[in-house]
Parts: sequence; structure tokens; C-alpha cells
Amino acid sequence: MARAARERSEQERGNGVADKGESTMSTQPAHGDATIAVSDELAARDDMIVCSDVDKWFGDFQALSGITATIKEQEIVVVLGPSGSGKSTWIRCINRLEAHQSGQIIVDGIELTNDLRNIEKIRSEVGMVFQQFNLFPHLTVMDNITLAPIWVRRKSRPEAEELAESLLERVGIPEQAQKFPGQLSGGQQQRVAIARALAMEPRVMLFDEPTSALDPEMIKEVLDVMEELARSGMTMMVVTHEMGFAREVADRIIFMEDGEIVEVGTPHHFFTEPAEERTKLFLSQVL
Amino acid sequence: MSDPRTPNRDASLSTLGTRPPFYRDATVVRWIAQVGTLILVLAAMWFLATEAGDSLRARGANIDFDFISDHIGIKVGWGIDTNPDSGGRALWVGMVNTIRMAAAGIALASVVGVLVGLARLSSNWPLRRLAGVYVEALRNIPLLVQILVYAAVLASLPNVSFGMGPIPGWVHLSNKGLSIPRVFVADGFYQWAVVMLIGGVIARVVFKRLATRREQTGMQTNAGAWATGIVAVFAIVGWWVHPVFGWLGSIFGGLSDAVGAIPQGAVQLVAALAAAAVAAWWIRRFLAQHRTPAGLVRLTDDDWFRMIFAVAAAAIVVLFVAVLWPGLSSWVVNSSSDGLGVLADKFGNGRTGAPIDAMRPDIVQPGNFPNYGPAGLNLPIGFAAVYFGVVFYTAAFIAEIVRGGILAVPKGQSEAAQAVGLRRSTALRRVILPQALRVILPPVGNQYLNLTKNTSLAIAVGYSDLVQIGQTVYNQTGKTLQVMAVWMLFYLACSLTISAAVNFFNIRLRIVER
Amino acid sequence: MTDPLPPAAPTALAAEPVGPTVSPPDRPSLPPGRWIRENLFPNARNSILTIFAILVALFAYRGLLNFTFSEERSWIAVRTNLRLMFTQAYPEHQYVRVWVAVGLVLVLAGLSAGIWARWGGVTLKRLMGWLMSGGGLVAVGVLIREPSVLTDAAGESVRDDAGELVRESFAAAMADRWVWWAVALVLFGIGLALWLRFEDLARRTIEIPVAWLVFGLPGLLVASTWVIRYGHYAFADGEFIAEPGELVAMSTRVPWTVMWLLLIGCYGIGRVARNRAIASAQAAAETSDDAEAAGDGVAGEGAPELPRGALAKTRTVVNLAWVLSPFFLYWVVMRDPEIDYAHVFSTMLPMGLAFGVAGSAVLWWLTRSDAGEVGRLAAIGLLLLAAFHWVAAFFGWYSMLQVARIAFLLLAVAGLLAPNFAGVAAQRRRLVGAWLFVVLLVFYGATVINAPSTIETPTDMFIGGFSVTLLVSVLTIMLSFPIGVLLALARTSRQPIFRVLSTVYIEVIRGVPLITLLLFFSGVLPLFLPDGMEIAELAAAILGYTLFSAAYLAENVRGGLQSIRRGQYEAADAVGLTTTQRTGFIILPQSLRVSIPPLVGQVIATFKETSLLAIIGLFDFLRMANSVIPNQSQFLGVRREGLLFISVVYWVVSFAMSKYSQRLEQRVGLGQR
Repeated sequence: MARAARERSEQERGNGVADKGESTMSTQPAHGDATIAVSDELAARDDMIVCSDVDKWFGDFQALSGITATIKEQEIVVVLGPSGSGKSTWIRCINRLEAHQSGQIIVDGIELTNDLRNIEKIRSEVGMVFQQFNLFPHLTVMDNITLAPIWVRRKSRPEAEELAESLLERVGIPEQAQKFPGQLSGGQQQRVAIARALAMEPRVMLFDEPTSALDPEMIKEVLDVMEELARSGMTMMVVTHEMGFAREVADRIIFMEDGEIVEVGTPHHFFTEPAEERTKLFLSQVL
Repeated sequence: MSDPRTPNRDASLSTLGTRPPFYRDATVVRWIAQVGTLILVLAAMWFLATEAGDSLRARGANIDFDFISDHIGIKVGWGIDTNPDSGGRALWVGMVNTIRMAAAGIALASVVGVLVGLARLSSNWPLRRLAGVYVEALRNIPLLVQILVYAAVLASLPNVSFGMGPIPGWVHLSNKGLSIPRVFVADGFYQWAVVMLIGGVIARVVFKRLATRREQTGMQTNAGAWATGIVAVFAIVGWWVHPVFGWLGSIFGGLSDAVGAIPQGAVQLVAALAAAAVAAWWIRRFLAQHRTPAGLVRLTDDDWFRMIFAVAAAAIVVLFVAVLWPGLSSWVVNSSSDGLGVLADKFGNGRTGAPIDAMRPDIVQPGNFPNYGPAGLNLPIGFAAVYFGVVFYTAAFIAEIVRGGILAVPKGQSEAAQAVGLRRSTALRRVILPQALRVILPPVGNQYLNLTKNTSLAIAVGYSDLVQIGQTVYNQTGKTLQVMAVWMLFYLACSLTISAAVNFFNIRLRIVER
Repeated sequence: MTDPLPPAAPTALAAEPVGPTVSPPDRPSLPPGRWIRENLFPNARNSILTIFAILVALFAYRGLLNFTFSEERSWIAVRTNLRLMFTQAYPEHQYVRVWVAVGLVLVLAGLSAGIWARWGGVTLKRLMGWLMSGGGLVAVGVLIREPSVLTDAAGESVRDDAGELVRESFAAAMADRWVWWAVALVLFGIGLALWLRFEDLARRTIEIPVAWLVFGLPGLLVASTWVIRYGHYAFADGEFIAEPGELVAMSTRVPWTVMWLLLIGCYGIGRVARNRAIASAQAAAETSDDAEAAGDGVAGEGAPELPRGALAKTRTVVNLAWVLSPFFLYWVVMRDPEIDYAHVFSTMLPMGLAFGVAGSAVLWWLTRSDAGEVGRLAAIGLLLLAAFHWVAAFFGWYSMLQVARIAFLLLAVAGLLAPNFAGVAAQRRRLVGAWLFVVLLVFYGATVINAPSTIETPTDMFIGGFSVTLLVSVLTIMLSFPIGVLLALARTSRQPIFRVLSTVYIEVIRGVPLITLLLFFSGVLPLFLPDGMEIAELAAAILGYTLFSAAYLAENVRGGLQSIRRGQYEAADAVGLTTTQRTGFIILPQSLRVSIPPLVGQVIATFKETSLLAIIGLFDFLRMANSVIPNQSQFLGVRREGLLFISVVYWVVSFAMSKYSQRLEQRVGLGQR
């Protein structure tokens, strides 16, 4: 049944029919004959993020058109694509920083709608790491991390601080707790940002180009933390230009262009035998 | 494949594909809060207005604007008309005085401000320090105190006497103020202005032609000289021939009659239609912005609420204008007719005298003490006190803005100007100031606004500006609220005019820059 | 270990310690001759400018001196009326209240200065510059001032046959002014001696702590009143006392000395507390593993920073005291209310208890972790109930104490904020505690405000002059601040109706002159109030100022809000903060810090604008100088002296604030770490 769904042709996509029985099962390939080696083990897991036929406009500019994809629990998905292809918009829709206009996004069984309760719930289930870190510059690292656990997760301060210390340990900067973000290097700031997102104990982590604003020598320290996170079984969706990371860590790669999903596949498939011309062109430019 | 809904979901969350109840819908909640606030604000205003109406009725006063046309018998200390025949005329005298003060103040404050600002940046140590002392001293003392100090100092000047100076017969200075020769608009001015207007248009056409030819051929065409000459010729010839435009008077008279004949309710209808048209235009534009290339209009709930609110607001305005406010029509018709009537009178056929006249000041003695006669331009102490006050105070702020603006120009610019061999003054005029102007203009516009509003402090020294006369009018008639409404409208109009002017120049500067 | 999360609203203004101000090292000093050549006469054009500027300066200086020291001036009018100008006719036997009020402010000022202020220093070079130029100015002044008019034995000015005043000779004038020569010589001499004593580098590196100057100069002045015979002038029981050559009265000397000692003492206490906190933090840092944590990395130059979170409780208390002090000083200390205890025990106390207990219960219930929408709906219900009480008041349906209506409204606001505190017991307790404190304040305040004043004064206002100016400025700033912040938030909101309402309000208020607004509030406002509701003249004026100032404050805060990057909003959303939490914890603390300089500018503007009170007929500082003194029988028409005096006072206060804001601006600039 999954195979059948994957083999639906491109023409059928985007006709506005959200056939839940089929479309939530797995990502549709862009091309009918593309074979995607998603392991059966992965396919058997629960769905974590389900997008079906998601559209998003900014004024008259269509940023996302007919995005349909499913991300499984504990899966690592890397989204690639040229700039302006809608990658960031997509993952920002997944925790409702942007509202999509049609279609359905379901995260961990909760649909993203205008319902205040759902939004509240999603925000604490989905952690997000930004390209520009977006740490709160007027708070210390410790306060940055404990703010949301205390005020949203309703933890007591000592409890939250204990958690924060363990998370700082995990991202490798336990000694920086009392500094302000402006006193840290870019890589350290991004690791604090990851710790801040993890402090909410999310089920999914979204990364929006986490290394793009970093100097080259700092990229690795952030990628190491992300790899460690991936190994620990977190569901992750990563928009990045780090091909090495995509090749090493990703379970699946989604390639987007002009607000559409062009091709989906395992890293091996994607880097060695891409089916689409646009994918090949992109790879030839970045590799 | 499994159902994405895992069994241990929180039951309170809305299930897939259903709308949440309204009190949980983010958009609905936001709009409820907004409309609720709006209703609260409107209700509070309604309450207050009702209370005010009741209190006024209890005192036997009505909310009407009759005092504008009624004779109220007040005297105005200084202005275009010291014995206004109606409340409206009195307020008009005040407005003219305020505008005079503001315009003259803005002119001098700009000059002083720029000079002091430049002096603040001078390489000359004493000059820089002197300008610094000026700025720090003046901007840290309340303007009202400064005005009162000027008034107190000027009040100690000698009394008026015959043959007084400094230049007897031409310039007189005393504790009654300054008296100088007066140049004033006389009978034929408006016709003459029409002649000048025609001359100006022709001069502009000629100027453009010549300028274009110069650009194309490179030959010297003296466009500016030609244009000035044409205007001058028209001005001189117009001095005698202007009565030929007397017929414009009858045209305005006819227009006045025609406007006066507009049927009751027509204006109301037009206003209502205009409100509806604005709403329709807004919605069309809104929809056009949300039109996708595929021709579909994708609207969120929020968009729908916006459109509904726009329609509702327009409907209320239409209802208000068309049904609840019958007086609007006659008011607009009558006042426009009156305005055109005044123009008709100004152009009247009988006016054949010189367009501009002048008189020397005189000193008369109607009672026990000599005083300035009506012939000269008499600037009372109050005028001088307010004028010096607002000018020097505002100039201190303008100086700081100018200084900041020039410092904001990158240093490389003046170095580059020096490198291409411009002299310091030329570099300042041609390179630095034009760039600084973009930074300077908006805050200076704000200062112009402040200056205009600050002229209202004239009330403390008895200069007859709008606020001072307004206070006299409402003390006389009890129409406090109405006078305050006039104040508010006048000052808002001034603010809008100045902001519009500043924006206009700002946009022009930006275009020039490109 | 750290202090509570950054508080929203005013206390955020008490800026967290930020990096030290670093002044760029200046170039070595030039020798005087070269300095003059390079700065004054480098070329012909500049020489002309120099001469022009010096002539203008001398002309203005001479005019000011001649005016000030002219025989026609009657400065005695100002000296006699000093009390009147500052506190109006506050009764002599109650005057201790004024001193208590001043003393309390000085206590707070001393403590704050000790705990927070990192004063920095003035380099020796600048100090010497001030001394020498001060001496020079005095000397030049002595030279250029016109000679005094000769007086005859009766003290009348001598006139010649033509009726012109006869002045003494130049030489005699110079000899007569020996005191001023001495002053000039002493000032210049000290400066010169220091100049010669120290090397150029030392002059530029040795720093005199600013605190010495700020506390020392007033100290010298206070001490001099015990020695120098300034003369004793006063109005006592309507009697005009003029005793030149006497010491200042005991009733002035003693309190000022006490005030100065209080200031110094509290500064010392604050200083000690600060040093101990720093020492203990350093000790803790040395014993713990991460030595970096406490030192904050910036220590080294200047005074060490107060460690984060140290003295948190003290700081909160001092901040709160600052906020409450104007109300307390005006309504309790200065006004001496006569409290009707029967009413308190029969009505206010039970009502306050009821609100305290019932409100706490409601808030405790609203902050359950599972309150959800039911809680929100209940809070909205409370709001409607509170609003209904006001509507009923307008229509006169039933009577209710005003304080109860206010308490209902506050409870509704607390209820709306409650969801942000839901969950953990500590936070719920914090909310309930805050509520109890607010109830206490409101009911105590209502009792005090409704109690009649026992101060006997000839006018219906028991204070006047500078104290009214100060009261109106302070209350205006404090009341308009929250309104301004709300307006700014509404104006930058994405909700169209909020935005439009706020924009219309701000632009209309900014479009009209303040005086028209004040005339409206002092003259017409009573028309708008329901029957039986009255508003005091001063309250109406403060309302007018507040609404006016709020519009301008809103624009300043908006500038700060617009400087916050979008990412901050997104990050706050992404971690799940509510809109209120996002605004209070993330957006406002950052944006207010950016808007501090324009906000201080607005404070200065408000202070200056209070002079308009004189126009609407209140007895403020300006009115005293402009109308009251010139109408006294002893000093008929003496106006210019008073105006000059108040100009100086206004100038000193405004200038000090603007200098402070410039320092803040530099610090804020560096604070972006």
C-alpha cells in the first residue's frame, strides 16, 4: 500500500484532494518510477509529522504549493534546496510561526489550526533552532534556557536549573552558564540555542539552517551536537546546506524548489542516482 | 499504515479537521478583544459626551456654533482686524496671528539654528564653545520662562514720546513695542496676483525650453535671467493693467450663487457615496493583493474579519453622514458659498487701485499719553517676547539636529571632497549639507511643528494668537467646547500641512539622490 | 541564586550594570602657547572668528553681570521668599514635615547611589581646567563689570545735574571688589599649583571620584552657613525680617546639616552593602570550580561590578520605595491626613480583608494548571463585572465606594494575567502575594486620600512653588509611563483596530498644543463628569499632563520596540511563551533599554512643561516668581530677579538630567554585549 502511494504520479499531486488514507502514509516521490529505499523498519514506525497538500501564500507569491510529506518518529530528515525554495517557510509552518492557508499539518497527532490549545501544545512539543540563534541578549545563558521550562512547563526554578545544567553539559559548554549571549562565540551561541530548545523536552526538533551564520571553524561543534542528538533518537527536521551532514546523518533527504517537493530519497539514492534534472543541476552546483 | 493519532492523546485538543469552539479560536479571540476594546472606547466617549450635553443643558447653554456669525463685541489687541464683527472673524484674526508668528518664527529659527549648528562643529575653539553654551543654556530653561523674561526685559523700555527713535518717523522702539513702516495688500492685489500667475507660468515654460536647449547644445542660454525678466515685466506691466481681470469677480460671484443653490442633502449624499466608495476601493485593493496567479483568492479568517470590519465601519459612516447629520449639507454649502462670495468681492470691478501700498509709522496722542498710530506696522511687546522665545528656543534644538545630521555624514565624504580640490565652504555646501539634509529634515519638521504649537504660549504675555483670542471668545460667550474644537482642528490642520510639506521635500530629496 | 526574571515595566529602567564607560585616551596636552596658536589663531579667517566670538561672549557676560549686580536689582525679594518659592505658605510649626520629606528622598538617593552608581572619576586635568577657567571667569567679570553707582549717606544713589547716575572710578571699583579678586586668585591658584605639581601624564591619569565632588560641594556649602554671614531674611508671621550681616537662621542651618549627614550616611551604608556583596561573591567564586562565573569578566578597570543577583531583595525594596515615595510623601507626610478610624474599622478594614481573601482565593483558583479557557472566561467575567460597576456609577443605579470599583477592576486585571502564573506553587504564591500587597496599598491609599488634610494654609493648596512643579512632573512621568507603553504596544500591534485607535490618539494629542489640553482639563473637564463627581484642580492638571505625555512617551517606546529584531519574537513564540510573557520578559526589557535616552529627554521636557501650570492658575514655581512676588507690598513689580532665579533652578535640574542621560546613552551603547 505504501508503495502504491509512493508511485502516484506528479499530476495527481496538488489537485486539492486530501485523501488521508493514502497521503499520510509516506512521502510521495516526485516521479512515479523513483525508487526510495526507506527501510521497512522506518516505515513501520509511528508518524510524527504529517503534511498533506500544504499551501502557503505571501500576498500573491506562493511560497509552498502542495507540500505532502510524512516524517516518522525518530527519523532524521534533511531538507535541501536553493535559497528561496520554501524550505524555511515549510519548517516554520510546522510549529506555526507561519500559518499555512490550506492543507493539513499534523504533528504528533495534533493538527495545527487556530485552536489556541493546539498551538500551545505544539509549541511545547516542537523545538526550533534558528539560523540567527535568536538568543535573548538581555538574559544570561542560564536564564535563556530556564525561562520557558519555568513559565511554560511550570517547573520549579531549581528543577529547571538542574535540567539546564545537564543540557549545557550535553552541548559541551557547562562553564558558560552565567555569561550573556553576547560574550559567547557564534558556535557556542548556537549550542545554547539548541539547549534552550531541548529544555522544553520536545518530541521534534526543527533546525532552520543552524550553521549558515557561523564561521567555518565553528560549524563542526554545532554539527557534532546535532549528530549526538540524532543518535539519541530525536525526531529531527533539518534545513541545511551541509551536504556532509546530510550524507552522514540523514535517514531521508527531501529536495525542494519553488515551493514544491521535487525529489525524496535516502542519502545514497540522492547523492548517487538522483532522478530529477533539477536535483542534478542543484547537486552539480553545490558539490 | 497506522492512524497518526496515537491513542494517548489529550482529549481536550480539537480533533482533526474540526473548527475549535470560538473561545479557543486564536483569530476569533483576537477580533473579539479588538471589537470589545473599540466598543469600550466608543461607549466611554458616548458617556462623556452625554454627560457634557446634560451639564451644558443644565446651565442653559447649547452646543451650537452661532457665535461664529454672531456679533460678540470683543476687541483684539493686535491683528488684521482689531474690532472683529463676529466670533468667527475674531478667531480668524487669531489664526492669522498664529500663522504669522509661526511662519516668521520658522524662517528665523531655521537660519539661527543652522548657523549655531555649524558653529558647534567649527574648528574654531571659542566659536564652538560659544555655540555650545547657547544650546545648553537655552534648551534647558522652559520656553515659557524665557518668554516671560523677554517680556519683562522689554517692558522696561522707555514710554512712547513724540520724536522718539531710534530713527524718528521710520523706526520707533518703546515699551509699546516696535513700530516700522508697513507694506500692505491694497485694492488691486488679487487681480495683480492673477497677472503674476500668468507671468510665472510663461516664465516656467520659457525656462524649461531654454534649459533643455542648453543641455542639448551646450550653449549658454541664460534661462534663469530670462525667466526672472519675464516675471519682472509682468509684475511691472500688471501694476497698471491688472483691472482687466475684474471680470473674474463676477465669475466667482456666479459660482457662489451656483453653490448656494445646491439642494439640501446633496452634499450628504455625495459624502455618503464617497465613504462607500472608499470602502469599496479598499476591499478591491485588499482582494487584488491576495489574488494568486492562479486566480484564486486565498483568504484567512483574519482577512475575512478585516473585510467585514471595513464594510461595517463604512456602513456606520454612511449612516451617520446620510441620516443622523442633516446639518452637514447646509453647513458645507453655506460656507463654500460664503468663501466664493469673499473671493468675488476681492476681485470686484470697482477695485482699480495699486496692488500694494505702504505707510510710515506715526505717533498720535488721543488721550493723556502719546501712542503709536494705526499707520505703521506695530509689533507689540508680546509679539517680540513670543517671537524671540520660540525662535531662540527652537533654534537651539535645530542646531543640535543639524550638528547630528552633519556628523552622520561619513567622514570619507569630506575627505573625498577635499581630494577633488573643493574648498571647505564649497564642500560643505555641495557635498556635506545635501547628504546631511536627508537626516536633518524629518526631525527639523518636528521642530517646526513644536514651534507652531509653542506659539500658543502667547497667552501668557497677551499676544493675540488663536488661543488667547479663543479664550476671550469663550469667556464672553460660554462656548468653551466649540472654541476648543476650533483650536484642535486648526492645530491639526497646521500639523498636517507641515508634515505634508516636510514629506514632500523628503521624497524629493530621495529622488534627487538616485 | 539569580534574581527573579527581569521584571516588566518601570523597574527595568534601573538599568542592570553594564560595561564600564571607556573614554578614549586623549592626546598629550599642548603647552599653553602652542594651544592658543593652534586653536585660536591658526590663520586670518579663524583669528577673526575668534575675536568675534570672544567679543560676543564678553558682551553677553558683561550684560548678565551688569544686570545681576545692578543697584536696581532687589535680590532681597528672592532671598526673603525662598521658602515661598519652594513650599508656598507651609505653616512654620509643621515645617518639620517638609524636612522629613526631603530627608526620605535623600535617604533613598544615598542608598541607591551607594548600591548602584558606578560614578567613575574626573581626571585631574579636567578638574584643574575647571578651577582655572572658573578663576579666570571671575577675574574677567570683575574687570568688565561697570563700576557701581555712588550712594550717599542715606543709601540713595547719587545723580548729577543732568539726572544721570554717578558711578565710582574704575580704580575704586577694582579696589572695592577685593573679595572677588581673592576668589579668583584662590581658584586660579589652586588650579595652577596642581598643574605645576603634576606631570602631564599624571594629570591625565589621576582621577578624583565624582562622588567626592557631588557630596563634597554641597557639604562645603552647608558648612559655610555656620561660618559665613550670608544674612537673615524671612517673612515670619507676616513680618518682614531683614538682617544683613547675620548668620542664616538656625531653622535653616540645622536641618540642612542633618540632611547632608543623612545623605552621606546612607551613601555609606549602600556602599558597604555593595562592597560586602562583591566580596562574598568573589569569595564564592574562588571556592567554587568555575571562577569565571562571578567576576563577570569585566572587572579590572574602575569599580568592580555588582554581581548579578546580589542584593536582589534590597534592590527590589529600594526600587519599590522610589515608586511609592511620591505618593507617600505627598498624601501622608506633607498632607498629614486626619484619618477617621471609625470609618476604617467599620468599612475599609473589613472591605479590604474581604477583597484580600476573596481575591486571593479567586486568583489561586484561576492559576490551577488545568484552569485553561474556563479560567480565561472567568477572568473576562470579572472584567465585565468590574466594568458594570463603573457603568452603574455613571447612571447612578446604585452607590458603591469608589475604592471597591477600583479593587474590582484590579482584580479583573490580575485575573487576566493569572494564566501566565499558572502551575507551580511558588508562582501562584507570588501572584497572590502581589495581590495582597496591591489590596493593602489601594485601601490604605483610599483611606489617606479621603481623609481631610490638617495643614492650615491660607490657600486651598497646602503646597506650592517648586514642590508643586516637582509633584506634577513626578506623578506625570509615573502615570504616563504605563499608558505610554501600552499605547506603543498597541501601535506596533498587528491587530488593525488596536493600531488605528492608538495611532489616532497619539497623533491627535501630538498635533495640538499642550496649553489647549490643559485649558480643557482645568476648565471643561467638570462638564464631562457625572453629577456628584468632582476633580481637584491639581488632579485635573495632572490628568492633562499625563495624557499628553503618554502620547510622546509612546513614540519613544515605539522607537525601542521597532529596534527589536523579529527573531526575538519568533524565538519567544517557539519556546511557547504566551503573548504577555513574551512582551514582559523578552520584548519590553530590551526595547526599554534602547529607549532610555529619549525617555529621559521626555522626563526633562515634562519637567520644563510644568511651567504651564502658571497659565491655568496653579501656584507653581513660575507663578511664584512671575505673579506672587511682584504683588507683595514690599516687592511691588520685582519680577526679573525671580525669573532669573527660577531660570537657574530649572536649568540646573534639566542640565543635570541631560548630562545623566548622555552618560546612560554611552553605557547603553556599550551594554550590547
